[in-house]
Amino acid sequence: MSSVPIEIKDSAVSSSKWLDAHYDPVANLYTFSSCITLADLHGDGENKLVVGDLGTGAGNMKLKVYRGTGLLSENTLLDLPTGLVSFLMDQHEPRTPAIAVASGPFIYIYKNLRPYFKFTLPTLEVNPLEQDVWNQARGDMIDPMTLKEMLEGIRDKAEIPLSVRSLRFLMLEPQEMESYVNLQKEQPIRRQTIITCIGTLKKNMADDDAVSCLVIGTESQDVYILDPEAFTILSKMSLPSVPTLMDVTGQFDVEFRIIVACRNGNIYILRRDSQKPKYCIELSSHPVGLIRMGKNVVVGCAQETMQSFTQKGKKLWTTYLPAPVTTMALLDLPTRGFQAILVALANCEVHVYRDKNVVSTIKTQDVVTSICFGRYGREDGTLIMTTKGGGLIIKILKRTAVFDDRDSISGPPIAQSIRLNVPKKTKLYVDQTMRERENAVAMHRAFQMDLSRLRLAAARAYVKALESSLTPMSASLTEPLKMNAVVQGLGPSFKLTLNIQNTAACRPVMNLAISFLYDENLYSMRTAFFKIPLLVPGLNYPIDTFVECLSDKGISDIIKVFVLREGKSTPLLTAHINMPISEGLALN
Amino acid sequence: MGLFDKLAGWLGLKKKEVNVLCLGLDNSGKTTIINQLKPSNAQAQDIVPTIGFSIEKFKTSSLSFTVFDMSGQGRYRNLWEHYYKEGQAIIFVIDSSDKLRMVVAKEELDTLLNHPDIKHRRIPILFFANKMDLRDALSSVKVSQLLCLENIKDKPWHICASNAVQGEGLQEGVDWLQGTDLSFYSRKTRCM
Repeated sequence: MSSVPIEIKDSAVSSSKWLDAHYDPVANLYTFSSCITLADLHGDGENKLVVGDLGTGAGNMKLKVYRGTGLLSENTLLDLPTGLVSFLMDQHEPRTPAIAVASGPFIYIYKNLRPYFKFTLPTLEVNPLEQDVWNQARGDMIDPMTLKEMLEGIRDKAEIPLSVRSLRFLMLEPQEMESYVNLQKEQPIRRQTIITCIGTLKKNMADDDAVSCLVIGTESQDVYILDPEAFTILSKMSLPSVPTLMDVTGQFDVEFRIIVACRNGNIYILRRDSQKPKYCIELSSHPVGLIRMGKNVVVGCAQETMQSFTQKGKKLWTTYLPAPVTTMALLDLPTRGFQAILVALANCEVHVYRDKNVVSTIKTQDVVTSICFGRYGREDGTLIMTTKGGGLIIKILKRTAVFDDRDSISGPPIAQSIRLNVPKKTKLYVDQTMRERENAVAMHRAFQMDLSRLRLAAARAYVKALESSLTPMSASLTEPLKMNAVVQGLGPSFKLTLNIQNTAACRPVMNLAISFLYDENLYSMRTAFFKIPLLVPGLNYPIDTFVECLSDKGISDIIKVFVLREGKSTPLLTAHINMPISEGLALN
Repeated sequence: MGLFDKLAGWLGLKKKEVNVLCLGLDNSGKTTIINQLKPSNAQAQDIVPTIGFSIEKFKTSSLSFTVFDMSGQGRYRNLWEHYYKEGQAIIFVIDSSDKLRMVVAKEELDTLLNHPDIKHRRIPILFFANKMDLRDALSSVKVSQLLCLENIKDKPWHICASNAVQGEGLQEGVDWLQGTDLSFYSRKTRCM
């Protein structure tokens, strides 16, 4: 009895490419893709999930490590993490990677899940005016209100921005100022920048287990590369804007590329030996996700699009997404030689894109905010997602799953790639082609001449029709009328029905009359002239009249119908009715 | 079979030979289990991940087992199906402490059960819920629930909790395997 639903469920599962390994809707994980990584922290061949948990945003920030379905350890973080990477910092055995957590102006390095080192970004130049003002405050030469006014003046004009201390001072209520100044005035002023993104760059070898440098982007629009052991700054590069997303490839000592998406909506590509960006990609909207696939860059934009560029900034394609992008990640399966892009959307779906084509869609229970794909535990194809509500979803790619480009719904149809069976060129075709090639100018001229003549003839006929109002459509704007005529009967008596319609939007037409012109030897009409009533716009007015055919010779003629306006000699409309041959008389 | 062989078989002098497939995910303990079942002088000290497969032989009171110890690594799992025809019994090993990959084990089991070489045979399947000694290990009942073993209706199966490193629970499983009429199934195989 219960076997049927199970079978249905089984078939639904088997059609999917993913196995649901774990789902915890209340895992209490609040994080983004930049703060999540997979690493073999203990060197036991089993990858752990390392998460920089943002907590509530104000407190409860944690560095969490998951093993399998359970939490392995938790370390409290002092400030919000902005990025988290795992990297090998030395050659010592066992080769266990260190964790670098970027938060504020610091990078905290953890080894074996214990705090190991703290790197602080170099301080920035302090505005001399600001320094001067604070020196005066220290000497009690100015009171807090004057200090506030002077700092505000500096804030509005100076090129070098104020330090955090001054900015915080300006935010204070007047009664709090005094104590704040007394507390702060003895300390030297420091202006620090903060880290916005972090990445890793292999030092001098391309191996998977090679030592890596840290690459950091800062709010001061700089990119720093740090030595993995000494944590000295190896290289510094400047950008025109604040970096937000980063992808790094290559080796520091050989050649490298840093692809940086910036807050001004541009993507810059930095290379070794250049202090300034080498290439720039200007996007139409802000980047939300940045992925490098081989030599191409794929960017998810705020305007529900995904775009691909070469590393030199040439645009390859754009695809439109059904919902805004929340985050992106690379799906890389080196054992199967498969790479795809994971795009999490705001409509609770995760799409797997191979180039422009969706090859798989995963429905999730909540909006996904962070994605990570890789080896987790002992399973190579594991997809880890955390949700807006703090949930943790782990899915495993089936061993038998095949990503087929053709089962995608969107993208170019299959028919496009089928080669057509085009027949060989015939001799006639070749001869004609030769002739066209030799006489191209003459042919073009002849064609143009004929075209001009055709146009002239058409225009003449049109003018003639307009002048004599021969058309069944009225050309005048004040009386837009439409008429058609129907002849019924076999003869000698015919019924002539004229359908008249006022095509104006709302104006009725009045004072119209209909007159007929015909050969009086052939036909006779009871009334050859009558008035027509007021025409309400849009309605069809059928007007009937009877025509007698007088001839028994089996000939027919044209009857002309004129719609006339009182007081005007030219007709509004003219219709020519080709009368049928009267068969009734012929029988007599 | 010659007359002498038959006679020896009846008298219990010559043991019946049985081919057994040992399957399961990587790191579930297949090789360790087989190693424990071998006579103590033939046991290996270090167990390393199996590459491809290895063939091991051991004897019990009534049967002579030839075990195909298959590698459980993802890239070698497609080798399994090539040995289904020869197998007269299956040992399926599960790492009961690996909750995350229980779905993967279930997926592989379902693929195995739906394979044409297995589907219509009454081949006995012995499940080892291994690594019972680990702190976060699931019970054998829980493992059988997660793998939906109750849905296997046309094959004799048995699950036992085991700790292959210490050898606990292995004998129980092998005793069950001996109790099933293995030669019957093998004969049936040939008929089909």
